[in-house]
Amino acid sequence: MRTIRTAFALFFCWALTLASAQAAHTQAQLILADEVAKPGETVLVGVHLTMEPGWHTYWKNPGEAGMATKIKWQLPAGVTAGEIQWPLPDRLPPAEVTTYGYEHEVVLLVPLKLAADVKPGALALSAKVSWLECKEQCIPGDAAVQATLNVGTETKASADAALLKEWQSKTPRAEKLLSFQVHWEKQAEGDTRQVVIEGSQVGRETLALEKVDFFPYGSDDFEIQGATEKVSAKTGFALRKTVKKFTEWPTNLTGVIIVEGNKQTNGFELNQPITEETAPGLATAANSSSASASGLVNQKSLVQMLLYAFIGGLILNIMPCVLPVIALKILGFVGEARNEPRRVRKLGIVYTLGVLASFLVLAGAVIALKSAGQKVGWGLQFGNTKFLVALTILVFLVALNLFGVFEITLGGRAMNAAGDLASRHGVAGAFFNGILATVLATPCTAPFLGVALGFAFAQSTAIILLIFLSVGLGLALPYLLLSFQPAWLKFLPKPGAWMEKFKILMGFPMLATGVWLLTLASGSSEKSTILSLGLFLVALAMGVWIWGEFVQRGTKRKGLAGALSVLIVAAGGAFAIPMNRGGAEIQWQPWSSAAVAQAQAQGHPVLVDFTADWCLTCQVNKKVALEVASVREKLKQIGAVNLVGDYTHQPEAITDELTRYQRAGVPLVLVFPGKPNAEPVVLPEVLTSGIVLGALEQASK
Amino acid sequence: MKRLIALFGLMALVSSAFAAAEVGKTAPDFTGTDINGKTVKLSDYKGKIVVLESYNQDCPYCHDHFKTGSMQELQKEMTDKGIIWLMVNSVNAHNSSYRTPEKARAEWAEYKMHATAWLDDNSGAIGRAYGMLTTPHMFVIDKTGTLVYDGAIDDQPDPFHDPHKAHNYVRDAVGKVLAGEKVTTAKTKPYGCAVKY
Repeated sequence: MRTIRTAFALFFCWALTLASAQAAHTQAQLILADEVAKPGETVLVGVHLTMEPGWHTYWKNPGEAGMATKIKWQLPAGVTAGEIQWPLPDRLPPAEVTTYGYEHEVVLLVPLKLAADVKPGALALSAKVSWLECKEQCIPGDAAVQATLNVGTETKASADAALLKEWQSKTPRAEKLLSFQVHWEKQAEGDTRQVVIEGSQVGRETLALEKVDFFPYGSDDFEIQGATEKVSAKTGFALRKTVKKFTEWPTNLTGVIIVEGNKQTNGFELNQPITEETAPGLATAANSSSASASGLVNQKSLVQMLLYAFIGGLILNIMPCVLPVIALKILGFVGEARNEPRRVRKLGIVYTLGVLASFLVLAGAVIALKSAGQKVGWGLQFGNTKFLVALTILVFLVALNLFGVFEITLGGRAMNAAGDLASRHGVAGAFFNGILATVLATPCTAPFLGVALGFAFAQSTAIILLIFLSVGLGLALPYLLLSFQPAWLKFLPKPGAWMEKFKILMGFPMLATGVWLLTLASGSSEKSTILSLGLFLVALAMGVWIWGEFVQRGTKRKGLAGALSVLIVAAGGAFAIPMNRGGAEIQWQPWSSAAVAQAQAQGHPVLVDFTADWCLTCQVNKKVALEVASVREKLKQIGAVNLVGDYTHQPEAITDELTRYQRAGVPLVLVFPGKPNAEPVVLPEVLTSGIVLGALEQASK
Repeated sequence: MKRLIALFGLMALVSSAFAAAEVGKTAPDFTGTDINGKTVKLSDYKGKIVVLESYNQDCPYCHDHFKTGSMQELQKEMTDKGIIWLMVNSVNAHNSSYRTPEKARAEWAEYKMHATAWLDDNSGAIGRAYGMLTTPHMFVIDKTGTLVYDGAIDDQPDPFHDPHKAHNYVRDAVGKVLAGEKVTTAKTKPYGCAVKY
């Protein structure tokens, strides 16, 4: 009888789940970024909606039809939910009725704030999610979702953290890269009126504006209609939208500007008062003045950039390898034609053209490289981590070069060729002297140019050209001035040992730039990434020093020194790169003595790593002896439970545990056999993967 | 440049054609066929108040008004006063929510509808002329043929509400017209599912 009843109940449940599965074309799930969080923290959670192909759900403003997805939270005391952070939506069919929403899947993000006095333990989080799902038809759907969050002493990310982070990157960006102006275009015609949004770039990151659109936030008083018209703009972009009034005209325009370009989509929130444009004549005037005002912002930063490039070019003149060139080569031709001031001026101008020509060639090379790079899909712009890492390494090398750790030389053949051409007389000679000055100056200019080049990469073609011409102009200016006023020769500083010191001095601002870039490059990464990149830079410095000291300036065993230098850099790289790799890491759980006892009771061997952020040995142990393929495999094979105890803030529980094993601090790595109360194998402070594998083998027996 | 102006002109024309219906102006005339094959022309009803209802029973917002009986009651209340009530179904013929005249007649009987006629607008001509965005999207035309209301049916955009408890904008607008007063709430944001053009 009982079996029949059970079977019936089971069938009933099955029928129920089948029914709900058939009705809903959207599945909802609650995911958390943290498994364990501390009181007072804010935990990012998300409602993951998965739609069947062809079905969609709606954005915060569904548009002219549809319904925004709603989340109604049921939270324990001490937990408060913030507002939904909506990823950028798509425009949805049909064309006649503009709606905004999501196809396939979306994660609606919500920050949950834990009160400072929330008690440790498991918290049941639940919410009722309701939505309207549409394909050819629309069906209202809802689901009760739940998840458990543990409140503990240490934060621990969950397996869903990466998914949440990915969707968070699809929400509007907080950086101010665009500045907006919004104004009414004409008087209203009945219930409709046109509004124009003007945008210009103000950030240090330049966005590619291949496609710009505006998705409005909703209102019951008016509708910002779907169609977006592009209006020609002198700088940035301009869009025209039509507003349909129901009860009142908007005073502010709110929504999201969506910028597509360079295979990326970025969203920026817009919340701007709509300014009035009255008489048509005035409107045009105000229009052009606002356009030029927004243009000025761009012009100002461009002028600043070019000024720096020009000053950079001027500074190049007193670099050790440039100043003597003035004395020897240039003053030579000035002296030769002393009696013919007009000829001297002409030569001076031609010489300047020579310098500019060589810089144009360099700019051309950069532009060609950039467009080639874009074709193969490099996102060469600030914000791209790989680009920033490359730039950090470049700037760091430049600083080392300025310190004299190593030299940059061109091949002898190029030098000779330039020298031959420059030895010609007259106009052609002066032109090639200009090129020669650039080439001769390479050992000093290359580092600076390298940096300018790096920054220029992120700019548009016209700006790259302007930057390089400014540097060239700065480099050529003294010669040009001297050819017009040979008497000013007496103001020229004399070449001497001071130049070498000046060069070293310039290394420090370069190093500072490198540090700044390093923080940018590692902005979104974890602490260990900065550490590994930093360590790689140290290895690079050592390799480069060996190269400079024993290959470039050395006399004996250059081959060996060269090989050693390459080896050190390669080893540094190999050490740094696996550190950046996430994914396949060991699944660590927070340590507690109870967790150890529990795992042992269930027959699992336990690996415990007591570590701290400030403990370098711990980091090295982790990289070379724990997070390696062989150990990972072994851990899986023996079914080990992996626990990590973070001693960064020296919690008492871990201090006690360390004392038990007669250690004053971390590192302490223990391997417990999978038998209740069995004593652990205590591993030495400095580990190899062999030691760890041996201990695991012993513990699994 | 000329081409550009022509393009803008064309765009203005298209957008004006799409949103031709505007409160305070003459409602665009149309001719349609109802589910019994009868031809219906708006201008034939000059001198009478006309209510237009964009319809799709598969839309949960629309369905909510029918399953609660609220829409039919309003239809009856209006048509009893000699008001013309036209349901406009603009669902295209390839959509699974399209109703053949036969199925439409069955649905009419099932829900005991009290409208004057159900127009099969599967070409979307009437819907587009009025800028019908959602189901339900309501329009009220006064006796002179002027559009006096364009918007939602009531103030509760919810597929699970009881429409009897909501404030009905159509009843409100028709009441004002019958009393010879100006319609105060003449435009609201329509809610519901997108019209399946």
